Amino acid sequence: MNPQLDETQLLLRDTLRQFLERELSFDRVRECEREARADAALWRTLVKQGWLATPFPAALEGGGGGMVCAGILVEEFSRRAALIPIAEVLTAALTLQRCGAPCGGLLRRVLAGEAVVTPAILESGDSFYGIAAEALPAGTAAAGESSWLLRGEKCFVDYAQFASHHLVAAQCGGERGLYLVESADPGVKCEATPALGRIPQAQVRYDGARAVRAAGAEAVGELVRIGRALTCAQLLACMEVSLEQTVAYTNLREQFGRALSTFQAVQHHAANMAMHCEASRFLTYEVLDALERRSADDRQVALAKASLSRAAPEVLMTGHQLHGGQGFIEENDLYFFTLRGKDRSVAWGTAEECLALAATGVEQKARWL
Amino acid sequence: MNFQWPPEQLAFRDEVEAFIRQWRTPELLREYHENEGGGGTPLMRRYYRALQETGWMQMCWPEEMGGAGKNPLYRFILIETFEYWGMPYGNLTYTSIAPALAVHGSEEQKRRFLPGIWSGEYCFAIAYSEPNAGTDLASLRTRAEKARGGWTIQGQKIWTSLAQQSTHIWLAARSEPDLPKHQGISLFIVPTGSEGVSIRPLRCMSGLTTYETFYDNVFVPGENLVGGRGGGWNIVMHALNHERVGLSPTGNLARHYDLLVEELQRSAPQKLRDPVLRNRLAELRMELERHRALALRNAVTIADDDVNAGLASMAKVSGSELRHRLTNLAMDLLGRPGVLTEAAGGRAACGGQQQTTWLMSPILRFGGGTNEVQRSIIAARHLGMAR
Repeated sequence: MNPQLDETQLLLRDTLRQFLERELSFDRVRECEREARADAALWRTLVKQGWLATPFPAALEGGGGGMVCAGILVEEFSRRAALIPIAEVLTAALTLQRCGAPCGGLLRRVLAGEAVVTPAILESGDSFYGIAAEALPAGTAAAGESSWLLRGEKCFVDYAQFASHHLVAAQCGGERGLYLVESADPGVKCEATPALGRIPQAQVRYDGARAVRAAGAEAVGELVRIGRALTCAQLLACMEVSLEQTVAYTNLREQFGRALSTFQAVQHHAANMAMHCEASRFLTYEVLDALERRSADDRQVALAKASLSRAAPEVLMTGHQLHGGQGFIEENDLYFFTLRGKDRSVAWGTAEECLALAATGVEQKARWL
Repeated sequence: MNFQWPPEQLAFRDEVEAFIRQWRTPELLREYHENEGGGGTPLMRRYYRALQETGWMQMCWPEEMGGAGKNPLYRFILIETFEYWGMPYGNLTYTSIAPALAVHGSEEQKRRFLPGIWSGEYCFAIAYSEPNAGTDLASLRTRAEKARGGWTIQGQKIWTSLAQQSTHIWLAARSEPDLPKHQGISLFIVPTGSEGVSIRPLRCMSGLTTYETFYDNVFVPGENLVGGRGGGWNIVMHALNHERVGLSPTGNLARHYDLLVEELQRSAPQKLRDPVLRNRLAELRMELERHRALALRNAVTIADDDVNAGLASMAKVSGSELRHRLTNLAMDLLGRPGVLTEAAGGRAACGGQQQTTWLMSPILRFGGGTNEVQRSIIAARHLGMAR
């Protein structure tokens, strides 16, 4: 039992943190937000530096860092509010890799920066269970890969416009699976759906788009588990930065002739934020570690996501309460984390959805070690 | 980073559970509760002797102190397992006094007291608070004056729990009245039977008894001063950090959750089919997971030989507040059978344990330093907020 990052993990975290603090200004993020686009230059740097490959096995020329390493990457980029599809690409690519999907060629292209793949699961009902999109056989394509045609609509597809490929959950005769579609296919139509978090996303219509079947029903479950765990890393980053900024601000800001942080009411709010952050850090990396060992079940992942989805809005709003008006203007960086955090708290399953899943196992004995 | 328990530590938990299965009889539990945690009855003494023979009580101490030098996480596993099953293990004497004595006591004091603590022969009552020194502990007024061969103690303490059952009192007194208030405190071990010590019981609403203790020119030999003159405040803080760990086990909370579900399965299975109720149980599990995270985070820090006041306070606040919410919700879900006491026999849901623990929950929130003070400690020590 050791919840601390090891030396290699610390090195990765510190290198990333220093690099991003130096190279990625919040004004650059503001510019991406204004233009409703991903930061393509930052994505190229991420690939060029080899960071994107660090979680993947050596067979893909990766660093073998696994899920914990993926969590570190997502957390660090989220700490700078970076508008890049790091969580989405890692979710899709790690699912394909871990499920042994016959997509080695695509994964190599993703890690080389030649392709970007994002998951497309939810439909208008916003449910992970009701998948209506259909995959229809369309004869046999080259290299023995079955060719399919996709019909249906996907909603809330993060970075759909930026991605070269969508990893689409669809069903064929009631059997669910994951299908890869090139976003440039004439059968794919994206319509931007601006959202609270200012993360580019779209509603996507697949009208006979050509697709390749990547994996079966089990991979859909794995995709959701990984998506939830990496979203926890995003939420953790938002909460921790909000807390750090709040402590710094209340230490500096004076009212009634003394620093705000000397008031007991302010201290107690901050202590509550800190407790949420500490517990969230443990739960996030515990679930990532369990996924790496393939010992995490749906309920454990759901409980962690429910916990962070509940904690994040509370922490973020407390941060605003302690910042007062200063935290409400966009010149202050606090808003990035509030918007992204709330947005991600409902992504990959709200607290209520996750609790409903956890509720199916309430008869199991509670964990105490 | 590795969140797995290694096989040898899981095997140790299994070994502890096997011991508990052997000893966890209704007679032992009754004597334990009737004696309010003290170890004075013949059965309790036999039990503590058997526990001592396992070697677990001192297994994490250095070999030169009679221990086996094992990773302190073994002690965490031991305590959590005992807490889950509601079994005695020496409580604050073991979790708070012994670690403080190991760090601040002299070699002679360690030799004299630690074996007796591990064997259950010694039971310490803690005497910090006074009628006018509660949360503001440093303003305590009980005086210690230098006397020939030792000290004389004059004053009054309150909330000296276990005083009646104890062999010793771990007492903070003002020995240097001219120094600033935090620097003038010393820590003494007072044999409870010393001449001049008197004890008055205070019946609590939980059904347990705490005590007021009075010290009328009580002589304490010089060798019972712990950590030197004026060193008491640091010892008290060190002991309190350990005490806060002991106040926030996950095992006990998990046990109450499991008892609740078992009771619903047995006596109200229709409630368990209600999705609203199931969701409330799922929320409890989520909160248990959060608390387990904080308790483990703190335990690992202690295992790394580093008591972090902020993390200890987080575990204490989290555990004590969850204890209230959990048992409160348990009684809500159980309805009127949930508020029947143990005396109602088989009609009481969960044997009356949810209401008993709910009644105890206020003390854990204000005891060991109020949760308000803990939050201030988190702000100052963990977050570095200006004071």
